[in-house]
Formats: sequence, structure tokens, C-alpha cells
Amino acid sequence: MNHSMKNQLLSLFTEIQIDIKKDNEMIINAAKNAIIGILSFCKSKGYEHLALVSCVDWIEQKKFELVYILSPYPEQEPEFSKKEKTNIILKTRIDREQPEIVSVINIFKNAEPYEREIHELFGINFNGHPRLTPLFLERTYKIPPFRKNFDTREYVKKVFDEIPFIDKKEASK
Amino acid sequence: MRKLELYFGPQHLGMVGNFSITLNVEGDRIIKAKANPGYLHRGFEKLMEYRTWIQNFPLVCRINVVEPDHMEMIYAMAVEKLAGIEVPERAQYIRTIYLELARIASHLFGLWAYANMLGLDTVAQWAMYHRDLILDLFEELTGARVYHIYIWPGGVRRDFPPGFKEKIIKTLHSIGSCVPDYNDIFFHNKLFYQRAADIGKLNREQVTAMGGVGQVMRATGMKYDIRKIEPYGAYDKVEWNVPVRENGDAYSRIMVVRDEMIESVHMIFKLLDKMPGGKTYTRTPNPFKWNIPAGETYVRCESSRGELGLYMVSDGKDKPYRVHFRTPSYSHGLTILEKVLQNESIADVGNIMISLYVVAPEIDR
Repeated sequence: MNHSMKNQLLSLFTEIQIDIKKDNEMIINAAKNAIIGILSFCKSKGYEHLALVSCVDWIEQKKFELVYILSPYPEQEPEFSKKEKTNIILKTRIDREQPEIVSVINIFKNAEPYEREIHELFGINFNGHPRLTPLFLERTYKIPPFRKNFDTREYVKKVFDEIPFIDKKEASK
Repeated sequence: MRKLELYFGPQHLGMVGNFSITLNVEGDRIIKAKANPGYLHRGFEKLMEYRTWIQNFPLVCRINVVEPDHMEMIYAMAVEKLAGIEVPERAQYIRTIYLELARIASHLFGLWAYANMLGLDTVAQWAMYHRDLILDLFEELTGARVYHIYIWPGGVRRDFPPGFKEKIIKTLHSIGSCVPDYNDIFFHNKLFYQRAADIGKLNREQVTAMGGVGQVMRATGMKYDIRKIEPYGAYDKVEWNVPVRENGDAYSRIMVVRDEMIESVHMIFKLLDKMPGGKTYTRTPNPFKWNIPAGETYVRCESSRGELGLYMVSDGKDKPYRVHFRTPSYSHGLTILEKVLQNESIADVGNIMISLYVVAPEIDR
């Protein structure tokens, strides 16, 4: 199934790179402006379950990588004892200086809290998202806390003056 | 009628766990509900980037307080996949039995929460007692009652102690003999049926559109179970069924939970019969010098609440570069709950929330 989808995707979209792993897991690398098209295409092909929206901070390449993981819902009786994977991992890289991307909640409704979380923890703006309000955090931070340049130890030291146990251990060395 | 904004939780009696909902109500009817998580955000995913692959185990099992075992399993699965470690067959069987025991314990805990919330305290006490019997088994096997850290990359930490198989069978028989009593007092009880039937109703289209998994999906008649779709452990070695119900309301969801517990007991008996001998552990490198090759993976398993996933990225060092858990309560508690609560009454908020099986620590992480 995945191989025919690969050919269709390659013919429909430019700037796309598809890799099918040994256990049938499909990894798509695409440009930022193509993700809406690819996600709606995958949804129309039966990949209706958006399992996860995630983000990785590649600080050395100065990029953020957005990750969308899709899988299909099975037919009434799934093919049991099939050891193959049926996931699609769709990845796109955006500029770290201008972290902006279009929201996918019009295609997948359950992306809403995921995008809210990424906005809060990585500081990425999702255009078209109606509710980018804080989700988990109590206070605001200068650097969003899940970015790689946010050092938790440095932050603790600045706010609470010392890091319990660790400071004592280092002083006794 | 006058419109009010009502804060429900985290200290409300009808609320289980560290979670709150802001309700806009008109009289007794809810017009709009807003879920507020974050009371238990510990930033585990960030903390894990600072710790080595093995040091992370005490953190992963604390993500979900109710069922730490599936969290260990998913983390071990991801590490094994990235590092290319094979797991011996006996270890797969032990893992599966252990996870099914954990599923029963977690469902009994859920039953406690549900019955307690509805004021059926007798059932709650029974469920807690029976969960404790399973915790006794865990204590003998792993040395700990709640956070076991028993599943390990490459297998399990140790084999079953002598006579453990008989103990599992004895415990499960004693729990199973109480199923008729549970039916009489809770599942077939008219008082409970009237509280739960037709409450929090969802159809299949709504569930698929909002990313529902687990009991929420199986209560609408869909056989969506990761143990069948992408078998891991020894789930493809024995015959078992996926219990479903058709109505999609709170009552169907709790009946799916009941059937799942019974199915798990049967599955454990079959697995114990077929258990092969051999090693329980593949040696892994020195944990202080263990660098895992660069790459990324998404693995998933079926926790007692639904699809549990883990997206993990390694950059070839001794620590993970990025970890992201896809927990089942996330869509249940943030997307589906807000939708389902519309037009329900205030008295049913806790009822619906627990029937969706929302556990707050899993959302916050």
C-alpha cells in the first residue's frame, strides 16, 4: 500500500523526499508550504488518525522541525498478526529566527492542543489557530522552555539562588 | 436564565486528579466547557534530555501514576528499536503477562474512581482491595508496589521467582470469582445504569474526528486496538478477542473496561501455559558509555487507556535528543471532553470525565 502511495505523492508534490523503512514505516520530508496538501491527501487515502504533532529543536542547523504522525483506522476486522508498521511520519523544517507555520486544525481537529503546546513550549506561531493561550505553564519565560538554549540549571540558579544537592556536591569537590 | 462561570476542580469533590474545567452554565446546563491542565506539569520530556538512556527509567514510569508499566514498556521499545536490540522470547511472554496484570490493576483503579465518584463506595473498596492483591504480586516480582522499573531495554530485569506462576493463577481466580458480585452491585445495578446510560454519548465519526482511542473508540463498535494492529510482546502468540460495545455512552465505555479485564485474565492463563524457557535478558552495553546511533522512531502500544505512543530522536550521544509522549488522555481530556460536556448537566461532569478515563498527570507530563 505504501509503495503506491509513495509514487502518487512524488507525482503530486515537488520538494518532497520519501523514505520507506524496512518495517514499512514511511518518512516524508517536505517543504513548509506543502504540508497542508500532503496531510489532506493522506487523510483522503485513509490515514485519518493524527496521532501526534511534535517539534524538535535542531539548534545547530538553526531550524525547528515539525513532525506529524499519521496512521489509518483499520477496517471493521483488522488484519491481525501483521507485524508491519502503518505509520507515516511527515516532517518539515522551518526557520528558527522566524518560527511560523500554518495550523492544520481545519484538517485534523485534534491537532488543536498539540499546536497550543508547541506554541507555548517552543514559541512557534501557528497561523490560523484560534486559541494560542497558555496550556501548561504558570509563568512566562524569555526563552520558551523546551528550546535547546534554555538551560534548566541556569534558570533554577537565577530564580532560586541555588540548586539543592548539586551545588553542595560540586563545592565539596 | 442567569449565566454563570463555574470553576470545577481541582479541589472539587467530583473531580479525580489534578485537573480543572471552567464551565459556562445557564441554570444546570453547561453551555461551554474549557479544560485547564497544567497542575502537574513536571517537564519530564525536557528533563529526559539531560539524563542518560537508563537514568530516564525512574522518570518515564512517573508520567502516569496509575499505570507506570506501559510507560516503561514504550520507552524500552523505543530504545530497543533505535539501538537494534533483540528481546528473547521468554522475556516477551513475561512482559506481556506483566503488562496484562498492570492493565487489570489500572482498570480496577479506574473502577474505584468511578464508583467512588458516583457514591457507590462498597464497589470502590472492593476494587481497591483487588488491585492491592495484584500489587502484592508486583511486589514479589519486582520489589516495588507502584513504580517497578521491571521492563528494561533488552528484556526484563529478572525471571519469575519459583512458584510465581501458581500465585498469579490463585490471585486471578480469587479476583475472577468476584465478577458475579461486581455485576450485581455495579455493572447490572439499576442505580448505576440510570446514571451512566445515554450520558456523554459519542458516535464513531465524532470519535475519529477528535482523535479518540481506547475504550472511547471501542465503545462505538470499532475494533481499534494496537495489540492487534501492530502486535508487540507476545500478543500475536495467543488467541484473544477485542471487546466492543455499540452505544458510545458512558455505560458502554465502562462495560468495555469490564470485558477487557475478563479478557486479560483469560489471556494471562493462555500465556502462562505457552511460556517458553530460555533467557530473559539480552546484555546491553555499559549504561554510562552507551551511545545509541542517530535516528528517530515512533513506537506505540496499547495502554489501559488507549494508544500510547512515543516519538524519540537520538543524535548519536548517550542521552536522548528529544522525547515526546503521545498519551491517550491528551485528546480525551482536552478535545473530546470539551465537546461532550456541552448541554450536559453539572452533576454529570465528573461522571463523563471518569468514563472517558482521563488521567491528568498523563496530559501534563
